[in-house]
Amino acid sequence: MAPPARALEGLVERAALGDRAAFRSLYQATSAKLYGVALRILRRADWAEEVLQECYVSVWRHAPDYRAERAAPMTWMTSIVRNRCLDWLRRPNPEPLEDGVLESLESGNPGPLALLEQGRDSAALARCLRGLEARQRQAIALAFFDGLSHAELARHLREPLGTVKTWVRRGLARLRSCLELQG
Amino acid sequence: MNCRDKPELRERLAAEYALGTLRGRARERLKRWMRDDPELMNEIRAWETRLGPMAEAVEPVAPPARVWRQVEQRLDFRTKSSFWKTLGLIAGGAAAALAAVAVLLPPQREGIPASYVAVLSDPKTQRPVIVASAGRKDTALHVKLLDPAIRVTGRSLELWALPRDGKPRSLGLISEQKLTLTLAAAADQSLGDVPALAVSLEPQGGSPTGQPTGPVLYTGPCVKYW
Repeated sequence: MAPPARALEGLVERAALGDRAAFRSLYQATSAKLYGVALRILRRADWAEEVLQECYVSVWRHAPDYRAERAAPMTWMTSIVRNRCLDWLRRPNPEPLEDGVLESLESGNPGPLALLEQGRDSAALARCLRGLEARQRQAIALAFFDGLSHAELARHLREPLGTVKTWVRRGLARLRSCLELQG
Repeated sequence: MNCRDKPELRERLAAEYALGTLRGRARERLKRWMRDDPELMNEIRAWETRLGPMAEAVEPVAPPARVWRQVEQRLDFRTKSSFWKTLGLIAGGAAAALAAVAVLLPPQREGIPASYVAVLSDPKTQRPVIVASAGRKDTALHVKLLDPAIRVTGRSLELWALPRDGKPRSLGLISEQKLTLTLAAAADQSLGDVPALAVSLEPQGGSPTGQPTGPVLYTGPCVKYW
Protein backbone atom coordinates (compact mmCIF):
# COMPACT_ATOMS: atom_id res chain seq x y z
CA MET A 1 0.00 0.00 0.00
CA ALA A 2 1.24 3.47 -0.84
CA PRO A 3 2.30 5.57 2.14
CA PRO A 4 -0.23 8.28 3.00
CA ALA A 5 0.28 11.52 1.11
CA ARG A 6 0.41 13.55 4.34
CA ALA A 7 3.35 11.56 5.65
CA LEU A 8 5.23 12.05 2.38
CA GLU A 9 4.38 15.77 2.40
CA GLY A 10 6.00 16.09 5.80
CA LEU A 11 9.14 14.38 4.50
CA VAL A 12 9.33 16.64 1.44
CA GLU A 13 8.89 19.71 3.67
CA ARG A 14 11.67 18.61 5.96
CA ALA A 15 13.90 17.75 3.01
CA ALA A 16 13.26 21.28 1.75
CA LEU A 17 14.76 22.56 5.00
CA GLY A 18 17.87 20.47 4.46
CA ASP A 19 16.89 17.46 6.58
CA ARG A 20 18.86 14.59 5.06
CA ALA A 21 17.34 11.94 7.28
CA ALA A 22 13.87 12.95 6.09
CA PHE A 23 15.09 12.80 2.50
CA ARG A 24 16.43 9.31 3.08
CA SER A 25 13.05 8.25 4.48
CA LEU A 26 11.38 9.77 1.44
CA TYR A 27 13.69 7.73 -0.78
CA GLN A 28 12.96 4.57 1.14
CA ALA A 29 9.21 5.15 0.94
CA THR A 30 9.05 5.98 -2.76
CA SER A 31 12.03 4.62 -4.69
CA ALA A 32 10.64 1.14 -5.42
CA LYS A 33 7.51 2.57 -7.00
CA LEU A 34 9.42 5.13 -9.01
CA TYR A 35 12.04 2.60 -10.09
CA GLY A 36 9.16 0.41 -11.29
CA VAL A 37 7.78 3.34 -13.29
CA ALA A 38 11.18 4.06 -14.88
CA LEU A 39 11.91 0.38 -15.62
CA ARG A 40 8.65 -0.06 -17.50
CA ILE A 41 9.23 2.97 -19.68
CA LEU A 42 12.96 2.53 -20.30
CA ARG A 43 13.08 -1.30 -20.25
CA ARG A 44 16.75 -1.24 -19.27
CA ALA A 45 17.85 -1.47 -15.67
CA ASP A 46 21.03 0.59 -16.18
CA TRP A 47 19.06 3.46 -17.71
CA ALA A 48 16.37 3.27 -15.08
CA GLU A 49 19.00 3.44 -12.32
CA GLU A 50 20.61 6.47 -13.90
CA VAL A 51 17.28 8.25 -14.32
CA LEU A 52 16.18 7.41 -10.78
CA GLN A 53 19.40 8.80 -9.41
CA GLU A 54 19.02 12.03 -11.39
CA CYS A 55 15.42 12.36 -10.30
CA TYR A 56 16.17 12.11 -6.57
CA VAL A 57 18.93 14.69 -6.97
CA SER A 58 16.32 16.87 -8.63
CA VAL A 59 13.72 16.15 -5.90
CA TRP A 60 16.22 17.26 -3.23
CA ARG A 61 17.06 20.44 -5.12
CA HIS A 62 13.46 21.31 -5.96
CA ALA A 63 11.92 20.29 -2.65
CA PRO A 64 11.67 23.97 -1.58
CA ASP A 65 9.52 24.64 -4.67
CA TYR A 66 7.12 21.77 -3.93
CA ARG A 67 3.56 22.92 -3.19
CA ALA A 68 1.29 20.41 -1.50
CA GLU A 69 -1.81 22.25 -2.68
CA ARG A 70 -0.83 21.68 -6.30
CA ALA A 71 -0.08 17.96 -6.31
CA ALA A 72 0.30 15.01 -3.97
CA PRO A 73 4.00 14.24 -3.37
CA MET A 74 3.80 10.96 -5.28
CA THR A 75 2.18 12.67 -8.28
CA TRP A 76 4.87 15.32 -8.22
CA MET A 77 7.68 12.78 -8.10
CA THR A 78 6.06 10.47 -10.66
CA SER A 79 5.90 13.38 -13.11
CA ILE A 80 9.58 14.15 -12.53
CA VAL A 81 10.49 10.53 -13.24
CA ARG A 82 8.22 10.07 -16.25
CA ASN A 83 9.34 13.33 -17.83
CA ARG A 84 12.98 12.45 -17.29
CA CYS A 85 12.39 9.01 -18.84
CA LEU A 86 10.70 10.54 -21.87
CA ASP A 87 13.55 13.01 -22.30
CA TRP A 88 16.00 10.15 -22.00
CA LEU A 89 14.26 8.02 -24.58
CA ARG A 90 15.68 8.50 -28.00
CA ARG A 91 14.95 4.97 -29.02
CA PRO A 92 14.62 4.66 -32.77
CA ASN A 93 13.89 0.93 -32.58
CA PRO A 94 11.89 0.11 -29.51
CA GLU A 95 12.33 -3.39 -28.23
CA PRO A 96 9.19 -5.47 -28.48
CA LEU A 97 6.82 -4.99 -25.57
CA GLU A 98 6.25 -7.76 -23.17
CA ASP A 99 2.85 -8.48 -21.77
CA GLY A 100 2.36 -6.50 -18.69
CA VAL A 101 0.20 -3.95 -17.03
CA LEU A 102 -1.51 -2.92 -20.22
CA GLU A 103 -2.47 -6.40 -21.38
CA SER A 104 -3.97 -7.19 -18.01
CA LEU A 105 -5.71 -3.82 -18.10
CA GLU A 106 -7.11 -4.92 -21.40
CA SER A 107 -7.99 -8.50 -20.64
CA GLY A 108 -10.41 -7.24 -18.04
CA ASN A 109 -8.75 -9.23 -15.30
CA PRO A 110 -9.01 -7.36 -12.03
CA GLY A 111 -5.28 -6.59 -11.63
CA PRO A 112 -4.25 -2.98 -12.16
CA LEU A 113 -7.69 -1.38 -12.41
CA ALA A 114 -8.79 -3.07 -9.20
CA LEU A 115 -5.57 -1.84 -7.61
CA LEU A 116 -6.35 1.68 -8.75
CA GLU A 117 -9.87 1.42 -7.39
CA GLN A 118 -8.53 0.77 -3.90
CA GLY A 119 -6.29 3.83 -3.85
CA ARG A 120 -7.60 7.00 -2.27
CA ASP A 121 -6.32 9.18 -5.06
CA SER A 122 -6.84 6.77 -7.90
CA ALA A 123 -10.38 5.43 -7.36
CA ALA A 124 -12.05 8.15 -9.44
CA LEU A 125 -9.47 7.71 -12.18
CA ALA A 126 -10.06 3.93 -12.23
CA ARG A 127 -13.82 4.43 -12.59
CA CYS A 128 -13.27 6.85 -15.46
CA LEU A 129 -10.78 4.53 -17.17
CA ARG A 130 -13.38 1.76 -17.02
CA GLY A 131 -15.80 4.12 -18.75
CA LEU A 132 -13.56 4.52 -21.82
CA GLU A 133 -13.79 2.42 -24.93
CA ALA A 134 -11.38 -0.49 -24.66
CA ARG A 135 -9.07 0.75 -27.43
CA GLN A 136 -8.94 4.27 -25.97
CA ARG A 137 -8.09 2.80 -22.58
CA GLN A 138 -5.44 0.55 -24.10
CA ALA A 139 -3.80 3.39 -26.01
CA ILE A 140 -3.69 5.60 -22.91
CA ALA A 141 -2.34 2.78 -20.75
CA LEU A 142 0.39 1.93 -23.27
CA ALA A 143 1.40 5.57 -23.45
CA PHE A 144 1.42 6.10 -19.67
CA PHE A 145 2.95 2.85 -18.48
CA ASP A 146 5.26 2.05 -21.37
CA GLY A 147 6.04 5.51 -22.66
CA LEU A 148 4.94 4.83 -26.21
CA SER A 149 4.73 7.77 -28.61
CA HIS A 150 1.89 8.09 -31.13
CA ALA A 151 4.02 6.42 -33.81
CA GLU A 152 5.00 3.57 -31.49
CA LEU A 153 1.37 3.11 -30.47
CA ALA A 154 0.38 2.85 -34.12
CA ARG A 155 3.06 0.21 -34.75
CA HIS A 156 2.24 -1.77 -31.64
CA LEU A 157 -1.52 -1.72 -32.21
CA ARG A 158 -1.14 -2.14 -35.99
CA GLU A 159 -3.43 0.77 -36.73
CA PRO A 160 -2.95 3.91 -38.82
CA LEU A 161 -1.30 6.80 -36.99
CA GLY A 162 -4.32 9.06 -37.41
CA THR A 163 -6.64 6.47 -35.88
CA VAL A 164 -4.44 6.00 -32.84
CA LYS A 165 -4.09 9.76 -32.34
CA THR A 166 -7.87 10.06 -32.39
CA TRP A 167 -8.26 7.33 -29.75
CA VAL A 168 -5.78 9.07 -27.49
CA ARG A 169 -7.34 12.49 -28.00
CA ARG A 170 -10.92 11.33 -27.45
CA GLY A 171 -9.93 9.09 -24.57
CA LEU A 172 -8.19 11.96 -22.77
CA ALA A 173 -11.13 14.31 -23.38
CA ARG A 174 -13.57 11.76 -21.98
CA LEU A 175 -11.31 11.06 -19.04
CA ARG A 176 -11.22 14.74 -18.22
CA SER A 177 -14.96 15.29 -18.33
CA CYS A 178 -15.55 12.11 -16.35
CA LEU A 179 -13.06 13.18 -13.66
CA GLU A 180 -14.67 16.60 -13.46
CA LEU A 181 -18.07 14.99 -12.91
CA GLN A 182 -16.62 12.86 -10.14
CA GLY A 183 -15.39 16.09 -8.55
CA MET B 1 3.21 29.19 -34.34
CA ASN B 2 2.08 29.31 -30.78
CA CYS B 3 -0.89 27.86 -29.00
CA ARG B 4 -1.59 30.88 -26.82
CA ASP B 5 -4.80 31.87 -28.59
CA LYS B 6 -6.04 28.37 -29.34
CA PRO B 7 -7.49 26.95 -26.15
CA GLU B 8 -8.41 23.59 -27.68
CA LEU B 9 -4.92 23.07 -29.07
CA ARG B 10 -3.37 24.10 -25.74
CA GLU B 11 -5.54 21.65 -23.88
CA ARG B 12 -4.66 18.82 -26.25
CA LEU B 13 -0.93 19.54 -26.18
CA ALA B 14 -0.93 19.83 -22.38
CA ALA B 15 -2.72 16.48 -22.07
CA GLU B 16 -0.44 14.73 -24.55
CA TYR B 17 2.66 16.16 -22.89
CA ALA B 18 1.51 14.83 -19.52
CA LEU B 19 0.53 11.45 -20.98
CA GLY B 20 3.85 11.27 -22.79
CA THR B 21 2.76 10.80 -26.38
CA LEU B 22 4.11 14.21 -27.37
CA ARG B 23 7.71 13.59 -28.45
CA GLY B 24 10.73 14.90 -30.21
CA ARG B 25 10.55 18.45 -31.52
CA ALA B 26 6.93 18.93 -30.49
CA ARG B 27 7.84 18.07 -26.90
CA GLU B 28 10.85 20.39 -26.87
CA ARG B 29 8.74 23.20 -28.34
CA LEU B 30 6.08 22.80 -25.69
CA LYS B 31 8.75 22.88 -22.97
CA ARG B 32 9.94 26.22 -24.33
CA TRP B 33 6.40 27.59 -24.43
CA MET B 34 5.56 26.55 -20.92
CA ARG B 35 8.59 28.39 -19.56
CA ASP B 36 7.02 31.76 -20.25
CA ASP B 37 3.39 30.72 -20.21
CA PRO B 38 2.38 29.97 -16.61
CA GLU B 39 -1.16 29.17 -17.69
CA LEU B 40 0.08 26.44 -20.02
CA MET B 41 2.26 25.18 -17.18
CA ASN B 42 -0.81 25.00 -14.94
CA GLU B 43 -2.72 23.03 -17.56
CA ILE B 44 0.12 20.54 -17.79
CA ARG B 45 0.29 20.25 -13.98
CA ALA B 46 -3.46 19.68 -13.91
CA TRP B 47 -3.09 16.84 -16.40
CA GLU B 48 -0.19 15.35 -14.47
CA THR B 49 -2.41 15.38 -11.40
CA ARG B 50 -5.24 13.69 -13.29
CA LEU B 51 -3.06 10.93 -14.75
CA GLY B 52 -0.45 10.57 -11.99
CA PRO B 53 -2.46 8.15 -9.84
CA MET B 54 -2.20 5.56 -12.65
CA ALA B 55 1.30 4.93 -11.33
CA GLU B 56 -0.30 3.15 -8.39
CA ALA B 57 -0.88 0.22 -10.74
CA VAL B 58 2.84 -0.12 -11.46
CA GLU B 59 4.62 -3.00 -9.76
CA PRO B 60 7.21 -1.61 -7.32
CA VAL B 61 10.76 -2.89 -7.86
CA ALA B 62 13.40 -2.21 -5.22
CA PRO B 63 16.31 -0.40 -6.88
CA PRO B 64 19.85 -1.63 -6.16
CA ALA B 65 21.47 -0.07 -3.09
CA ARG B 66 24.05 1.69 -5.25
CA VAL B 67 21.38 4.09 -6.50
CA TRP B 68 21.02 5.70 -3.07
CA ARG B 69 24.79 5.74 -2.59
CA GLN B 70 25.16 7.61 -5.87
CA VAL B 71 22.43 10.07 -4.92
CA GLU B 72 24.26 10.76 -1.65
CA GLN B 73 27.51 11.17 -3.50
CA ARG B 74 26.09 13.55 -6.05
CA LEU B 75 24.52 15.66 -3.34
CA ASP B 76 27.75 15.67 -1.37
CA PHE B 77 26.01 14.18 1.64
CA ARG B 78 29.03 12.17 2.67
CA THR B 79 31.86 14.62 2.58
CA LYS B 80 30.43 17.83 3.99
CA SER B 81 29.21 17.71 7.55
CA SER B 82 25.47 18.02 7.54
CA PHE B 83 23.65 20.71 9.41
CA TRP B 84 21.34 18.02 10.73
CA LYS B 85 24.29 15.95 11.83
CA THR B 86 25.59 19.03 13.58
CA LEU B 87 22.34 19.12 15.49
CA GLY B 88 23.06 15.64 16.72
CA LEU B 89 26.52 16.70 17.84
CA ILE B 90 25.06 19.61 19.74
CA ALA B 91 22.63 17.34 21.51
CA GLY B 92 25.53 15.09 22.47
CA GLY B 93 27.85 17.72 23.92
CA ALA B 94 27.69 21.28 22.85
CA ALA B 95 30.79 22.92 24.29
CA ALA B 96 32.13 24.20 20.99
CA ALA B 97 28.78 25.47 19.77
CA LEU B 98 28.11 27.17 23.07
CA ALA B 99 31.51 28.80 22.98
CA ALA B 100 30.73 30.11 19.54
CA VAL B 101 27.43 31.47 20.78
CA ALA B 102 29.09 33.17 23.73
CA VAL B 103 31.55 34.91 21.44
CA LEU B 104 28.79 36.10 19.16
CA LEU B 105 26.53 37.38 21.88
CA PRO B 106 26.73 41.00 22.86
CA PRO B 107 27.62 41.44 26.52
CA GLN B 108 24.41 41.43 28.52
CA ARG B 109 23.88 44.27 30.93
CA GLU B 110 22.31 42.02 33.54
CA GLY B 111 25.25 39.69 33.35
CA ILE B 112 22.99 36.72 32.59
CA PRO B 113 22.82 35.64 29.00
CA ALA B 114 19.45 34.94 27.46
CA SER B 115 18.45 31.34 27.92
CA TYR B 116 17.61 30.21 24.42
CA VAL B 117 20.00 31.21 21.71
CA ALA B 118 19.95 30.37 18.03
CA VAL B 119 22.73 31.18 15.60
CA LEU B 120 21.67 30.99 11.98
CA SER B 121 24.24 30.76 9.23
CA ASP B 122 24.28 31.05 5.51
CA PRO B 123 24.97 27.50 4.31
CA LYS B 124 26.89 28.81 1.31
CA THR B 125 29.42 30.84 3.25
CA GLN B 126 29.02 29.00 6.59
CA ARG B 127 29.07 32.42 8.21
CA PRO B 128 26.66 33.25 11.03
CA VAL B 129 24.24 35.95 9.94
CA ILE B 130 21.43 36.04 12.52
CA VAL B 131 21.30 35.55 16.28
CA ALA B 132 17.96 35.08 18.00
CA SER B 133 17.62 34.91 21.76
CA ALA B 134 14.96 34.80 24.43
CA GLY B 135 14.94 34.55 28.21
CA ARG B 136 13.54 31.27 29.51
CA LYS B 137 10.41 32.83 30.96
CA ASP B 138 10.05 35.52 28.31
CA THR B 139 7.84 35.67 25.25
CA ALA B 140 10.02 38.28 23.53
CA LEU B 141 12.43 36.81 20.99
CA HIS B 142 15.20 39.27 20.13
CA VAL B 143 16.68 39.01 16.68
CA LYS B 144 20.01 40.50 15.74
CA LEU B 145 21.14 40.77 12.13
CA LEU B 146 24.90 40.27 11.99
CA ASP B 147 25.08 40.89 8.28
CA PRO B 148 23.83 44.30 7.15
CA ALA B 149 23.25 42.85 3.68
CA ILE B 150 20.21 40.88 4.87
CA ARG B 151 17.48 42.84 3.19
CA VAL B 152 14.79 41.82 0.73
CA THR B 153 12.43 43.93 -1.32
CA GLY B 154 8.97 42.82 -2.34
CA ARG B 155 9.32 39.65 -0.25
CA SER B 156 9.46 38.74 3.40
CA LEU B 157 11.87 36.82 5.59
CA GLU B 158 10.06 34.41 7.86
CA LEU B 159 11.61 32.82 10.93
CA TRP B 160 10.69 29.21 11.72
CA ALA B 161 11.07 26.94 14.69
CA LEU B 162 11.95 23.39 13.58
CA PRO B 163 10.65 21.19 16.39
CA ARG B 164 12.21 17.80 17.06
CA ASP B 165 8.88 16.22 16.08
CA GLY B 166 6.36 17.77 13.79
CA LYS B 167 6.20 20.49 11.25
CA PRO B 168 7.98 23.84 11.24
CA ARG B 169 6.21 26.57 13.26
CA SER B 170 6.30 30.17 12.15
CA LEU B 171 7.76 32.59 14.68
CA GLY B 172 6.98 35.62 12.53
CA LEU B 173 8.47 37.88 9.90
CA ILE B 174 11.77 39.61 10.49
CA SER B 175 13.21 42.76 8.98
CA GLU B 176 15.48 45.63 10.00
CA GLN B 177 12.35 47.35 11.34
CA LYS B 178 11.03 44.30 13.14
CA LEU B 179 13.66 42.68 15.32
CA THR B 180 11.57 41.62 18.31
CA LEU B 181 9.05 38.84 17.84
CA THR B 182 6.48 37.66 20.33
CA LEU B 183 6.46 33.94 21.07
CA ALA B 184 3.13 32.15 21.54
CA ALA B 185 4.25 31.13 25.04
CA ALA B 186 7.31 31.58 27.26
CA ALA B 187 10.51 30.39 25.60
CA ASP B 188 10.66 27.31 27.81
CA GLN B 189 7.43 26.13 26.19
CA SER B 190 7.94 27.59 22.71
CA LEU B 191 11.55 26.61 22.17
CA GLY B 192 12.14 23.76 24.60
CA ASP B 193 11.66 21.07 21.96
CA VAL B 194 13.18 23.09 19.12
CA PRO B 195 16.72 22.08 18.19
CA ALA B 196 16.93 24.46 15.23
CA LEU B 197 15.58 27.63 13.61
CA ALA B 198 15.46 28.55 9.96
CA VAL B 199 14.69 31.60 7.83
CA SER B 200 12.89 31.21 4.53
CA LEU B 201 12.16 33.67 1.76
CA GLU B 202 8.40 34.10 1.45
CA PRO B 203 5.90 36.21 -0.49
CA GLN B 204 5.33 39.64 1.03
CA GLY B 205 3.37 39.23 4.25
CA GLY B 206 4.66 35.72 4.90
CA SER B 207 3.92 32.17 3.86
CA PRO B 208 0.34 31.80 2.64
CA THR B 209 0.19 28.16 3.78
CA GLY B 210 1.56 28.35 7.31
CA GLN B 211 4.51 26.22 6.20
CA PRO B 212 7.72 27.36 4.55
CA THR B 213 7.12 27.75 0.83
CA GLY B 214 10.21 29.59 -0.39
CA PRO B 215 13.90 28.72 -0.34
CA VAL B 216 15.50 28.33 3.06
CA LEU B 217 18.18 30.97 3.35
CA TYR B 218 19.61 30.44 6.82
CA THR B 219 19.50 27.69 9.38
CA GLY B 220 21.18 27.02 12.65
CA PRO B 221 20.99 25.29 16.01
CA CYS B 222 18.88 26.65 18.83
CA VAL B 223 20.39 25.79 22.20
CA LYS B 224 19.47 26.30 25.80
CA TYR B 225 22.08 28.52 27.31
CA TRP B 226 22.14 28.58 31.07
